[in-house]
Amino acid sequence: MKERRNIIDLFWWLVLIGWSLTILFPIVWDLYESLKTNPEFFQNVWSFPDKLQWANYKKAWLNYHLLNAMLNTLYYVGASLLIGTFLTALNAYALTRIEFKGRKFIWAMIMLSLFLPGINALIPQYILMRDLHLTNSLTGLIVLNCLGESVFFLMLLGGFMRSLPRELEESGTIDGASIFKMFIRIIMPLAMPGIVTVAIFKFIGLYNSFLEPFIYLSDSDKYTIGVNIYHANMLMQYTNDWVTLFAGVIITMIPSVLIFMFFQRWIMEGATLGSVKG
Amino acid sequence: MDKSAVICCKRRTFKNGSFLTFAIVPTFGGYLLFALYPNVLSIYYSLLDWNGITKPKFIYFENYVRLFNDRYVWRALGHNLFYMATVPICVILISLVLSYLLTNKGYKGTSIFKVLFFFPNVLSTVVVSLLWAFIYDGSFGLLNALLKLFGIDMNGFYWLGDTRTAMYAVLPPYVWAGVGLYIVIFMNAMTTIPKSLYESAILEGASHMTRLFRITIPLITPLIRVSAIFLVLGTLKSLDLVLILTRGGPAGSTDVIGLYMFNMAFGEQVQNYGYASAIGMFLFFILVSAKLVVDKLLPDRGYEY
Repeated sequence: MKERRNIIDLFWWLVLIGWSLTILFPIVWDLYESLKTNPEFFQNVWSFPDKLQWANYKKAWLNYHLLNAMLNTLYYVGASLLIGTFLTALNAYALTRIEFKGRKFIWAMIMLSLFLPGINALIPQYILMRDLHLTNSLTGLIVLNCLGESVFFLMLLGGFMRSLPRELEESGTIDGASIFKMFIRIIMPLAMPGIVTVAIFKFIGLYNSFLEPFIYLSDSDKYTIGVNIYHANMLMQYTNDWVTLFAGVIITMIPSVLIFMFFQRWIMEGATLGSVKG
Repeated sequence: MDKSAVICCKRRTFKNGSFLTFAIVPTFGGYLLFALYPNVLSIYYSLLDWNGITKPKFIYFENYVRLFNDRYVWRALGHNLFYMATVPICVILISLVLSYLLTNKGYKGTSIFKVLFFFPNVLSTVVVSLLWAFIYDGSFGLLNALLKLFGIDMNGFYWLGDTRTAMYAVLPPYVWAGVGLYIVIFMNAMTTIPKSLYESAILEGASHMTRLFRITIPLITPLIRVSAIFLVLGTLKSLDLVLILTRGGPAGSTDVIGLYMFNMAFGEQVQNYGYASAIGMFLFFILVSAKLVVDKLLPDRGYEY
Protein backbone atom coordinates (compact mmCIF):
# COMPACT_ATOMS: atom_id res chain seq x y z
CA MET A 1 0.00 0.00 0.00
CA LYS A 2 1.67 3.17 -1.17
CA GLU A 3 1.05 6.36 0.70
CA ARG A 4 1.57 9.86 -0.47
CA ARG A 5 4.73 11.57 0.63
CA ASN A 6 4.54 14.84 2.51
CA ILE A 7 6.79 17.28 4.33
CA ILE A 8 7.11 14.98 7.35
CA ASP A 9 8.55 12.33 5.07
CA LEU A 10 11.23 14.78 4.07
CA PHE A 11 12.04 15.25 7.73
CA TRP A 12 12.35 11.50 8.34
CA TRP A 13 14.43 11.08 5.23
CA LEU A 14 16.74 13.79 6.55
CA VAL A 15 16.97 11.86 9.82
CA LEU A 16 18.27 8.88 7.86
CA ILE A 17 20.70 11.10 5.98
CA GLY A 18 21.78 12.66 9.27
CA TRP A 19 22.57 9.30 10.86
CA SER A 20 24.50 8.31 7.74
CA LEU A 21 26.54 11.47 8.06
CA THR A 22 27.47 10.75 11.66
CA ILE A 23 28.87 7.45 10.42
CA LEU A 24 30.58 8.70 7.28
CA PHE A 25 31.84 12.02 8.56
CA PRO A 26 34.33 10.87 11.21
CA ILE A 27 35.77 8.28 8.84
CA VAL A 28 35.98 10.55 5.81
CA TRP A 29 37.41 13.30 8.00
CA ASP A 30 40.13 10.96 9.26
CA LEU A 31 40.92 9.97 5.67
CA TYR A 32 40.94 13.60 4.53
CA GLU A 33 43.28 14.80 7.28
CA SER A 34 45.58 11.82 6.78
CA LEU A 35 46.44 13.23 3.35
CA LYS A 36 47.71 16.58 4.66
CA THR A 37 50.95 17.71 6.22
CA ASN A 38 51.00 18.45 9.94
CA PRO A 39 51.28 22.26 9.51
CA GLU A 40 48.41 22.26 7.00
CA PHE A 41 46.34 20.23 9.40
CA PHE A 42 47.01 22.40 12.45
CA GLN A 43 46.44 25.63 10.56
CA ASN A 44 42.97 24.82 9.33
CA VAL A 45 41.26 21.46 9.54
CA TRP A 46 38.93 22.29 6.62
CA SER A 47 41.49 23.54 4.07
CA PHE A 48 42.43 21.41 1.08
CA PRO A 49 45.92 19.93 1.13
CA ASP A 50 48.31 21.47 -1.42
CA LYS A 51 49.39 18.02 -2.44
CA LEU A 52 47.95 14.68 -1.32
CA GLN A 53 50.43 13.33 1.21
CA TRP A 54 50.36 9.60 0.50
CA ALA A 55 53.78 9.54 2.15
CA ASN A 56 51.96 9.67 5.50
CA TYR A 57 50.83 6.11 4.88
CA LYS A 58 54.36 4.96 4.20
CA LYS A 59 55.48 6.74 7.34
CA ALA A 60 52.73 5.15 9.44
CA TRP A 61 53.59 1.75 7.97
CA LEU A 62 57.26 2.13 8.88
CA ASN A 63 57.13 4.19 12.09
CA TYR A 64 54.48 2.08 13.77
CA HIS A 65 56.01 -1.19 12.51
CA LEU A 66 52.68 -2.03 10.97
CA LEU A 67 54.12 -4.81 8.81
CA ASN A 68 55.22 -6.64 11.92
CA ALA A 69 51.89 -5.92 13.63
CA MET A 70 49.98 -7.14 10.57
CA LEU A 71 51.99 -10.36 10.47
CA ASN A 72 51.36 -10.90 14.20
CA THR A 73 47.66 -10.27 13.65
CA LEU A 74 47.63 -12.60 10.64
CA TYR A 75 49.22 -15.38 12.69
CA TYR A 76 46.99 -14.84 15.70
CA VAL A 77 43.75 -14.36 13.79
CA GLY A 78 44.53 -16.91 11.06
CA ALA A 79 45.51 -19.78 13.34
CA SER A 80 42.73 -19.10 15.87
CA LEU A 81 40.25 -18.90 13.02
CA LEU A 82 41.24 -22.12 11.22
CA ILE A 83 41.78 -24.30 14.28
CA GLY A 84 38.97 -22.71 16.28
CA THR A 85 36.36 -22.98 13.55
CA PHE A 86 37.26 -26.61 12.81
CA LEU A 87 37.09 -27.56 16.48
CA THR A 88 33.81 -25.69 16.91
CA ALA A 89 32.27 -27.50 13.93
CA LEU A 90 33.47 -30.87 15.21
CA ASN A 91 32.17 -30.07 18.66
CA ALA A 92 28.78 -28.91 17.37
CA TYR A 93 28.45 -32.14 15.37
CA ALA A 94 29.30 -34.37 18.32
CA LEU A 95 27.01 -32.48 20.68
CA THR A 96 23.99 -32.39 18.38
CA ARG A 97 24.18 -35.63 16.37
CA ILE A 98 25.77 -38.27 18.52
CA GLU A 99 24.17 -39.80 21.55
CA PHE A 100 26.65 -40.53 24.27
CA LYS A 101 26.82 -40.75 28.01
CA GLY A 102 27.17 -37.37 29.71
CA ARG A 103 25.96 -35.34 26.75
CA LYS A 104 23.19 -33.71 28.75
CA PHE A 105 25.67 -32.84 31.46
CA ILE A 106 28.02 -31.21 28.96
CA TRP A 107 25.17 -29.16 27.50
CA ALA A 108 24.15 -28.02 30.97
CA MET A 109 27.71 -26.98 31.76
CA ILE A 110 27.96 -25.03 28.51
CA MET A 111 24.63 -23.31 29.12
CA LEU A 112 26.05 -22.19 32.44
CA SER A 113 28.30 -19.81 30.50
CA LEU A 114 25.23 -17.73 29.62
CA PHE A 115 24.99 -16.73 33.27
CA LEU A 116 28.65 -15.92 33.69
CA PRO A 117 29.61 -12.40 32.67
CA GLY A 118 33.25 -13.43 32.54
CA ILE A 119 34.68 -10.14 33.72
CA ASN A 120 35.39 -11.43 37.22
CA ALA A 121 37.38 -14.27 35.65
CA LEU A 122 39.80 -11.86 33.96
CA ILE A 123 42.40 -11.93 36.74
CA PRO A 124 42.35 -15.66 37.59
CA GLN A 125 42.52 -16.38 33.87
CA TYR A 126 45.59 -14.19 33.59
CA ILE A 127 47.28 -15.98 36.53
CA LEU A 128 46.38 -19.33 35.00
CA MET A 129 47.87 -18.33 31.65
CA ARG A 130 50.96 -17.07 33.45
CA ASP A 131 51.37 -20.36 35.31
CA LEU A 132 51.01 -22.23 32.01
CA HIS A 133 53.68 -19.95 30.47
CA LEU A 134 51.24 -18.76 27.85
CA THR A 135 51.50 -15.04 28.51
CA ASN A 136 53.44 -12.67 26.26
CA SER A 137 52.96 -15.16 23.44
CA LEU A 138 50.77 -15.03 20.35
CA THR A 139 50.58 -18.81 20.45
CA GLY A 140 49.25 -18.55 24.00
CA LEU A 141 46.48 -16.27 22.76
CA ILE A 142 45.69 -18.75 20.00
CA VAL A 143 45.39 -21.55 22.55
CA LEU A 144 43.09 -19.41 24.68
CA ASN A 145 40.89 -18.55 21.70
CA CYS A 146 40.72 -22.00 20.09
CA LEU A 147 39.85 -24.01 23.16
CA GLY A 148 36.49 -23.06 24.47
CA GLU A 149 32.76 -23.26 23.95
CA SER A 150 30.43 -20.64 22.59
CA VAL A 151 26.67 -21.06 22.92
CA PHE A 152 26.09 -18.72 19.98
CA PHE A 153 28.25 -20.76 17.61
CA LEU A 154 26.90 -24.09 18.91
CA MET A 155 23.32 -22.93 18.32
CA LEU A 156 24.18 -21.62 14.88
CA LEU A 157 26.03 -24.74 13.73
CA GLY A 158 23.81 -27.12 15.65
CA GLY A 159 20.87 -25.83 13.65
CA PHE A 160 22.62 -26.71 10.41
CA MET A 161 23.75 -30.11 11.63
CA ARG A 162 20.32 -31.07 12.90
CA SER A 163 18.70 -30.27 9.56
CA LEU A 164 20.85 -32.84 7.73
CA PRO A 165 19.12 -36.18 6.99
CA ARG A 166 19.86 -39.06 9.34
CA GLU A 167 20.59 -41.45 6.48
CA LEU A 168 23.91 -39.70 6.00
CA GLU A 169 25.37 -41.42 9.00
CA GLU A 170 23.38 -44.64 8.80
CA SER A 171 24.81 -45.65 5.47
CA GLY A 172 28.02 -47.49 6.05
CA THR A 173 29.43 -48.65 9.33
CA ILE A 174 30.36 -46.08 11.86
CA ASP A 175 33.55 -46.57 13.71
CA GLY A 176 36.07 -44.14 15.07
CA ALA A 177 38.00 -43.72 11.85
CA SER A 178 35.18 -43.62 9.35
CA ILE A 179 33.02 -41.30 11.41
CA PHE A 180 35.86 -38.80 11.21
CA LYS A 181 36.18 -39.26 7.46
CA MET A 182 32.44 -38.91 7.05
CA PHE A 183 32.51 -35.70 9.06
CA ILE A 184 35.18 -34.20 6.79
CA ARG A 185 33.77 -35.46 3.50
CA ILE A 186 30.02 -35.18 4.02
CA ILE A 187 29.01 -33.16 7.08
CA MET A 188 31.47 -30.29 6.72
CA PRO A 189 30.62 -29.52 3.09
CA LEU A 190 26.90 -29.68 3.83
CA ALA A 191 27.20 -27.40 6.84
CA MET A 192 29.50 -25.01 5.01
CA PRO A 193 27.15 -22.00 5.06
CA GLY A 194 27.01 -22.22 8.84
CA ILE A 195 30.74 -22.79 9.13
CA VAL A 196 31.48 -19.76 6.95
CA THR A 197 29.19 -17.58 9.10
CA VAL A 198 30.98 -18.79 12.24
CA ALA A 199 34.35 -18.10 10.61
CA ILE A 200 33.35 -14.55 9.63
CA PHE A 201 32.16 -13.76 13.13
CA LYS A 202 35.30 -15.25 14.60
CA PHE A 203 37.36 -13.14 12.24
CA ILE A 204 35.64 -9.91 13.23
CA GLY A 205 35.84 -10.78 16.91
CA LEU A 206 39.50 -11.77 16.77
CA TYR A 207 40.65 -8.92 14.58
CA ASN A 208 38.86 -6.42 16.79
CA SER A 209 39.79 -7.97 20.13
CA PHE A 210 41.71 -5.50 22.20
CA LEU A 211 41.62 -6.37 25.87
CA GLU A 212 43.10 -9.88 25.58
CA PRO A 213 46.12 -8.98 23.42
CA PHE A 214 46.54 -5.83 25.50
CA ILE A 215 46.69 -7.77 28.76
CA TYR A 216 48.64 -10.79 27.54
CA LEU A 217 51.26 -9.32 25.21
CA SER A 218 54.03 -7.27 26.79
CA ASP A 219 56.77 -7.12 24.11
CA SER A 220 56.08 -4.46 21.52
CA ASP A 221 57.27 -6.71 18.69
CA LYS A 222 54.42 -9.10 19.50
CA TYR A 223 51.65 -6.49 19.42
CA THR A 224 48.63 -7.07 17.25
CA ILE A 225 47.44 -4.22 15.05
CA GLY A 226 44.87 -2.89 17.52
CA VAL A 227 47.27 -2.80 20.48
CA ASN A 228 49.88 -1.29 18.20
CA ILE A 229 47.71 1.62 17.11
CA TYR A 230 46.63 2.15 20.71
CA HIS A 231 50.26 2.63 21.72
CA ALA A 232 50.88 4.86 18.70
CA ASN A 233 48.08 7.08 20.00
CA MET A 234 49.66 7.11 23.45
CA LEU A 235 52.86 8.47 21.90
CA MET A 236 51.05 11.45 20.39
CA GLN A 237 51.56 13.57 23.48
CA TYR A 238 55.31 13.51 22.73
CA THR A 239 55.48 13.51 18.94
CA ASN A 240 52.42 15.48 17.82
CA ASP A 241 52.60 13.75 14.45
CA TRP A 242 48.86 13.47 14.06
CA VAL A 243 48.54 13.05 10.31
CA THR A 244 50.60 9.86 10.51
CA LEU A 245 48.35 8.51 13.24
CA PHE A 246 45.31 9.27 11.04
CA ALA A 247 46.91 7.24 8.27
CA GLY A 248 47.59 4.44 10.75
CA VAL A 249 43.95 4.36 11.84
CA ILE A 250 42.85 4.11 8.20
CA ILE A 251 45.26 1.22 7.59
CA THR A 252 43.89 -0.53 10.70
CA MET A 253 40.38 -0.13 9.32
CA ILE A 254 41.10 -1.61 5.88
CA PRO A 255 40.75 -5.33 6.75
CA SER A 256 37.41 -4.66 8.51
CA VAL A 257 36.16 -2.70 5.50
CA LEU A 258 37.19 -5.46 3.09
CA ILE A 259 35.56 -8.21 5.15
CA PHE A 260 32.40 -6.15 5.43
CA MET A 261 32.32 -5.43 1.70
CA PHE A 262 32.72 -9.07 0.69
CA PHE A 263 30.61 -10.73 3.38
CA GLN A 264 28.10 -8.00 4.12
CA ARG A 265 25.05 -10.25 3.56
CA TRP A 266 26.47 -13.11 5.62
CA ILE A 267 27.33 -10.76 8.46
CA MET A 268 23.98 -9.04 8.60
CA GLU A 269 22.04 -12.31 8.33
CA GLY A 270 24.25 -13.96 10.94
CA ALA A 271 23.75 -11.03 13.30
CA THR A 272 20.02 -11.70 13.43
CA LEU A 273 20.52 -15.42 14.02
CA GLY A 274 21.88 -14.65 17.45
CA SER A 275 18.68 -12.93 18.44
CA VAL A 276 16.27 -15.62 17.24
CA LYS A 277 16.73 -17.47 20.47
CA GLY A 278 14.95 -14.89 22.56
CA MET B 1 16.90 -31.30 21.70
CA ASP B 2 15.34 -32.95 18.67
CA LYS B 3 15.64 -36.64 19.46
CA SER B 4 14.82 -37.91 16.02
CA ALA B 5 17.83 -36.24 14.49
CA VAL B 6 20.22 -37.87 16.89
CA ILE B 7 21.63 -41.17 15.87
CA CYS B 8 21.54 -43.73 18.54
CA CYS B 9 24.75 -45.65 18.75
CA LYS B 10 24.85 -46.72 22.34
CA ARG B 11 26.02 -50.18 21.39
CA ARG B 12 28.84 -48.74 19.37
CA THR B 13 29.98 -46.16 21.89
CA PHE B 14 33.35 -47.79 22.41
CA LYS B 15 34.11 -47.47 18.71
CA ASN B 16 33.17 -43.82 18.68
CA GLY B 17 35.40 -43.16 21.60
CA SER B 18 38.35 -41.76 19.72
CA PHE B 19 36.18 -39.51 17.59
CA LEU B 20 34.24 -38.23 20.56
CA THR B 21 37.42 -37.61 22.51
CA PHE B 22 38.77 -35.51 19.69
CA ALA B 23 35.49 -33.66 19.18
CA ILE B 24 34.71 -32.92 22.82
CA VAL B 25 37.87 -32.79 24.88
CA PRO B 26 39.74 -29.81 23.32
CA THR B 27 36.81 -27.40 23.30
CA PHE B 28 34.99 -28.55 26.40
CA GLY B 29 38.23 -29.06 28.29
CA GLY B 30 39.39 -25.60 27.26
CA TYR B 31 36.08 -24.20 28.40
CA LEU B 32 36.39 -25.87 31.80
CA LEU B 33 40.00 -24.77 32.18
CA PHE B 34 39.95 -21.23 30.77
CA ALA B 35 36.39 -20.15 31.55
CA LEU B 36 34.75 -22.09 34.38
CA TYR B 37 37.80 -22.72 36.54
CA PRO B 38 38.83 -19.01 36.64
CA ASN B 39 35.27 -18.11 37.56
CA VAL B 40 35.48 -20.40 40.58
CA LEU B 41 38.99 -19.21 41.38
CA SER B 42 37.89 -15.59 41.41
CA ILE B 43 35.87 -16.28 44.57
CA TYR B 44 38.96 -17.66 46.28
CA TYR B 45 41.24 -14.87 45.02
CA SER B 46 38.89 -12.24 46.37
CA LEU B 47 39.72 -13.49 49.88
CA LEU B 48 43.47 -13.06 49.46
CA ASP B 49 45.98 -10.34 49.99
CA TRP B 50 48.16 -11.01 46.98
CA ASN B 51 50.19 -9.02 44.49
CA GLY B 52 50.78 -12.03 42.25
CA ILE B 53 54.41 -12.48 43.21
CA THR B 54 54.76 -12.90 46.96
CA LYS B 55 53.05 -15.62 48.95
CA PRO B 56 49.29 -15.07 49.07
CA LYS B 57 47.83 -14.32 52.48
CA PHE B 58 44.31 -15.40 53.34
CA ILE B 59 42.50 -12.41 54.83
CA TYR B 60 38.87 -13.53 54.79
CA PHE B 61 36.52 -10.68 53.87
CA GLU B 62 38.92 -7.79 54.37
CA ASN B 63 38.91 -6.96 50.65
CA TYR B 64 35.15 -6.64 50.73
CA VAL B 65 35.26 -4.39 53.79
CA ARG B 66 37.82 -2.23 52.03
CA LEU B 67 35.66 -2.18 48.91
CA PHE B 68 32.63 -0.88 50.75
CA ASN B 69 34.72 1.90 52.25
CA ASP B 70 36.43 2.75 48.96
CA ARG B 71 34.79 5.87 47.62
CA TYR B 72 36.40 5.31 44.21
CA VAL B 73 34.37 2.13 43.87
CA TRP B 74 31.17 4.02 44.53
CA ARG B 75 32.16 6.84 42.21
CA ALA B 76 32.83 4.29 39.45
CA LEU B 77 29.55 2.56 40.22
CA GLY B 78 27.77 5.89 39.80
CA HIS B 79 29.24 6.24 36.31
CA ASN B 80 28.27 2.66 35.55
CA LEU B 81 24.70 3.40 36.55
CA PHE B 82 24.67 6.49 34.38
CA TYR B 83 25.82 4.56 31.30
CA MET B 84 23.58 1.64 32.16
CA ALA B 85 20.57 3.95 32.25
CA THR B 86 21.40 6.00 29.14
CA VAL B 87 23.14 3.75 26.61
CA PRO B 88 20.44 1.05 26.30
CA ILE B 89 17.63 3.63 26.05
CA CYS B 90 19.42 5.69 23.40
CA VAL B 91 20.44 2.63 21.40
CA ILE B 92 16.98 1.05 21.48
CA LEU B 93 15.07 4.25 20.69
CA ILE B 94 17.34 5.24 17.82
CA SER B 95 17.36 1.74 16.35
CA LEU B 96 13.58 1.41 16.66
CA VAL B 97 12.93 4.65 14.81
CA LEU B 98 15.57 4.02 12.16
CA SER B 99 14.55 0.42 11.56
CA TYR B 100 10.89 1.43 11.33
CA LEU B 101 11.77 4.04 8.71
CA LEU B 102 13.86 1.52 6.80
CA THR B 103 11.24 -1.25 6.83
CA ASN B 104 8.04 0.69 6.31
CA LYS B 105 8.89 3.80 4.36
CA GLY B 106 10.96 2.62 1.44
CA TYR B 107 12.67 5.96 1.01
CA LYS B 108 15.29 6.53 -1.62
CA GLY B 109 18.58 4.92 -0.63
CA THR B 110 17.08 2.46 1.88
CA SER B 111 19.34 -0.38 0.77
CA ILE B 112 22.43 1.82 1.15
CA PHE B 113 21.30 3.03 4.60
CA LYS B 114 20.84 -0.56 5.75
CA VAL B 115 24.43 -1.45 4.95
CA LEU B 116 25.95 1.82 6.10
CA PHE B 117 24.18 1.83 9.47
CA PHE B 118 25.65 -1.56 10.32
CA PHE B 119 29.19 -0.58 9.38
CA PRO B 120 30.34 0.83 12.79
CA ASN B 121 29.62 -2.60 14.27
CA VAL B 122 32.45 -4.23 12.36
CA LEU B 123 34.97 -1.61 13.49
CA SER B 124 37.18 -2.41 16.45
CA THR B 125 36.84 -0.58 19.74
CA VAL B 126 40.27 0.92 19.20
CA VAL B 127 39.26 2.46 15.87
CA VAL B 128 35.92 3.68 17.23
CA SER B 129 37.59 5.21 20.26
CA LEU B 130 40.32 6.92 18.26
CA LEU B 131 37.84 8.31 15.72
CA TRP B 132 35.85 9.83 18.58
CA ALA B 133 38.98 11.04 20.34
CA PHE B 134 39.74 12.97 17.14
CA ILE B 135 36.22 14.41 17.14
CA TYR B 136 36.52 15.62 20.73
CA ASP B 137 40.06 16.96 20.59
CA GLY B 138 40.42 20.55 21.69
CA SER B 139 42.99 21.96 19.32
CA PHE B 140 41.93 20.28 16.08
CA GLY B 141 38.80 18.27 16.89
CA LEU B 142 35.98 17.91 14.41
CA LEU B 143 33.32 18.93 16.94
CA ASN B 144 34.93 22.27 17.75
CA ALA B 145 35.57 22.89 14.05
CA LEU B 146 31.90 22.23 13.26
CA LEU B 147 30.73 24.49 16.09
CA LYS B 148 33.00 27.18 14.76
CA LEU B 149 31.29 26.97 11.38
CA PHE B 150 28.07 27.81 13.18
CA GLY B 151 29.75 30.70 14.93
CA ILE B 152 30.33 29.04 18.29
CA ASP B 153 33.96 29.34 19.31
CA MET B 154 34.87 26.85 22.01
CA ASN B 155 38.43 28.23 22.41
CA GLY B 156 40.04 24.82 22.08
CA PHE B 157 37.80 23.15 24.64
CA TYR B 158 38.86 19.55 25.37
CA TRP B 159 35.60 17.63 25.63
CA LEU B 160 37.29 14.55 27.05
CA GLY B 161 39.68 16.54 29.20
CA ASP B 162 37.17 18.42 31.28
CA THR B 163 35.49 16.87 34.30
CA ARG B 164 32.22 18.62 33.43
CA THR B 165 31.83 17.09 29.96
CA ALA B 166 33.94 13.91 29.85
CA MET B 167 31.27 11.62 31.27
CA TYR B 168 28.70 12.76 28.72
CA ALA B 169 31.21 12.73 25.86
CA VAL B 170 31.76 8.99 26.32
CA LEU B 171 28.08 8.31 25.69
CA PRO B 172 27.87 9.04 21.91
CA PRO B 173 30.65 6.60 20.91
CA TYR B 174 28.90 3.84 22.90
CA VAL B 175 25.63 4.52 21.10
CA TRP B 176 27.25 5.09 17.72
CA ALA B 177 29.02 1.74 17.85
CA GLY B 178 26.00 -0.17 19.13
CA VAL B 179 23.02 0.98 17.11
CA GLY B 180 23.79 -0.90 13.86
CA LEU B 181 23.33 -4.38 15.25
CA TYR B 182 19.95 -3.55 16.78
CA ILE B 183 18.74 -1.90 13.58
CA VAL B 184 19.37 -5.17 11.76
CA ILE B 185 17.74 -7.21 14.51
CA PHE B 186 14.65 -5.00 14.74
CA MET B 187 14.33 -4.69 10.96
CA ASN B 188 14.38 -8.45 10.69
CA ALA B 189 11.60 -8.71 13.25
CA MET B 190 9.54 -5.90 11.72
CA THR B 191 9.51 -7.47 8.27
CA THR B 192 7.85 -10.57 9.72
CA ILE B 193 4.85 -8.56 10.97
CA PRO B 194 2.00 -9.20 8.51
CA LYS B 195 1.09 -6.16 6.41
CA SER B 196 -2.60 -6.81 7.06
CA LEU B 197 -2.15 -5.68 10.66
CA TYR B 198 -1.25 -2.21 9.45
CA GLU B 199 -3.91 -1.94 6.77
CA SER B 200 -6.89 -1.35 9.02
CA ALA B 201 -4.88 1.18 11.00
CA ILE B 202 -4.00 3.02 7.81
CA LEU B 203 -7.67 3.02 6.75
CA GLU B 204 -8.56 4.61 10.05
CA GLY B 205 -5.93 7.23 9.41
CA ALA B 206 -3.41 6.26 12.07
CA SER B 207 -0.17 8.16 11.69
CA HIS B 208 3.18 6.44 11.44
CA MET B 209 3.96 7.39 15.03
CA THR B 210 0.76 5.74 16.22
CA ARG B 211 1.50 2.69 14.11
CA LEU B 212 5.05 2.45 15.47
CA PHE B 213 4.02 2.75 19.11
CA ARG B 214 0.70 0.93 18.96
CA ILE B 215 1.40 -1.88 16.53
CA THR B 216 5.07 -2.40 15.82
CA ILE B 217 6.62 -1.96 19.24
CA PRO B 218 4.08 -4.09 21.14
CA LEU B 219 4.58 -6.87 18.62
CA ILE B 220 8.32 -6.98 19.04
CA THR B 221 8.36 -6.38 22.81
CA PRO B 222 10.01 -9.74 23.61
CA LEU B 223 12.88 -8.83 21.30
CA ILE B 224 13.25 -5.34 22.77
CA ARG B 225 13.39 -6.93 26.19
CA VAL B 226 16.19 -9.29 25.26
CA SER B 227 18.02 -6.39 23.61
CA ALA B 228 17.63 -4.27 26.73
CA ILE B 229 19.05 -6.98 28.99
CA PHE B 230 21.89 -7.55 26.57
CA LEU B 231 22.69 -3.83 26.38
CA VAL B 232 22.45 -3.22 30.11
CA LEU B 233 24.80 -6.08 30.90
CA GLY B 234 27.14 -5.21 28.05
CA THR B 235 27.37 -1.58 29.15
CA LEU B 236 27.89 -2.53 32.79
CA LYS B 237 30.87 -4.73 32.14
CA SER B 238 32.50 -2.88 29.26
CA LEU B 239 35.75 -1.14 29.98
CA ASP B 240 37.79 -1.03 26.77
CA LEU B 241 36.08 2.01 25.23
CA VAL B 242 36.65 4.09 28.35
CA LEU B 243 40.15 2.68 28.75
CA ILE B 244 41.14 3.89 25.29
CA LEU B 245 39.19 7.16 25.24
CA THR B 246 40.02 8.60 28.65
CA ARG B 247 41.69 5.90 30.80
CA GLY B 248 39.01 6.81 33.33
CA GLY B 249 40.12 10.43 33.54
CA PRO B 250 40.17 13.34 33.89
CA ALA B 251 40.37 13.04 37.66
CA GLY B 252 38.43 9.78 37.52
CA SER B 253 35.33 11.44 36.08
CA THR B 254 34.73 8.60 33.60
CA ASP B 255 36.03 5.69 35.68
CA VAL B 256 33.85 2.58 35.58
CA ILE B 257 34.03 -0.48 37.82
CA GLY B 258 35.49 -2.77 35.19
CA LEU B 259 38.24 -0.27 34.51
CA TYR B 260 38.91 0.28 38.21
CA MET B 261 39.28 -3.46 38.63
CA PHE B 262 41.54 -3.61 35.59
CA ASN B 263 43.75 -0.84 36.96
CA MET B 264 43.94 -2.52 40.37
CA ALA B 265 45.19 -5.72 38.73
CA PHE B 266 47.24 -4.56 35.77
CA GLY B 267 47.93 -0.93 36.61
CA GLU B 268 51.38 0.60 36.55
CA GLN B 269 51.64 1.35 40.26
CA VAL B 270 49.57 -1.31 41.96
CA GLN B 271 49.11 -5.01 41.41
CA ASN B 272 46.59 -6.14 43.92
CA TYR B 273 45.02 -9.29 42.53
CA GLY B 274 43.10 -10.03 45.70
CA TYR B 275 41.43 -6.65 45.90
CA ALA B 276 40.83 -6.55 42.13
CA SER B 277 39.15 -9.96 42.34
CA ALA B 278 36.91 -8.70 45.10
CA ILE B 279 35.88 -5.81 42.85
CA GLY B 280 35.29 -8.37 40.10
CA MET B 281 32.98 -10.35 42.38
CA PHE B 282 31.19 -7.14 43.30
CA LEU B 283 30.67 -6.44 39.60
CA PHE B 284 29.47 -10.00 39.11
CA PHE B 285 26.91 -9.46 41.84
CA ILE B 286 25.78 -6.18 40.27
CA LEU B 287 25.44 -7.82 36.86
CA VAL B 288 23.29 -10.61 38.23
CA SER B 289 21.06 -8.17 40.12
CA ALA B 290 20.81 -5.89 37.08
CA LYS B 291 19.59 -8.83 35.04
CA LEU B 292 16.96 -9.68 37.64
CA VAL B 293 15.83 -6.05 37.91
CA VAL B 294 15.53 -5.57 34.14
CA ASP B 295 13.73 -8.91 33.92
CA LYS B 296 11.20 -7.69 36.46
CA LEU B 297 10.81 -4.14 35.15
CA LEU B 298 10.16 -4.92 31.52
CA PRO B 299 6.79 -6.46 30.69
CA ASP B 300 7.07 -10.03 29.55
CA ARG B 301 3.98 -10.22 27.42
CA GLY B 302 4.12 -11.26 23.86
CA TYR B 303 1.30 -10.76 21.38
CA GLU B 304 0.20 -13.51 19.08
CA TYR B 305 -0.59 -12.76 15.50
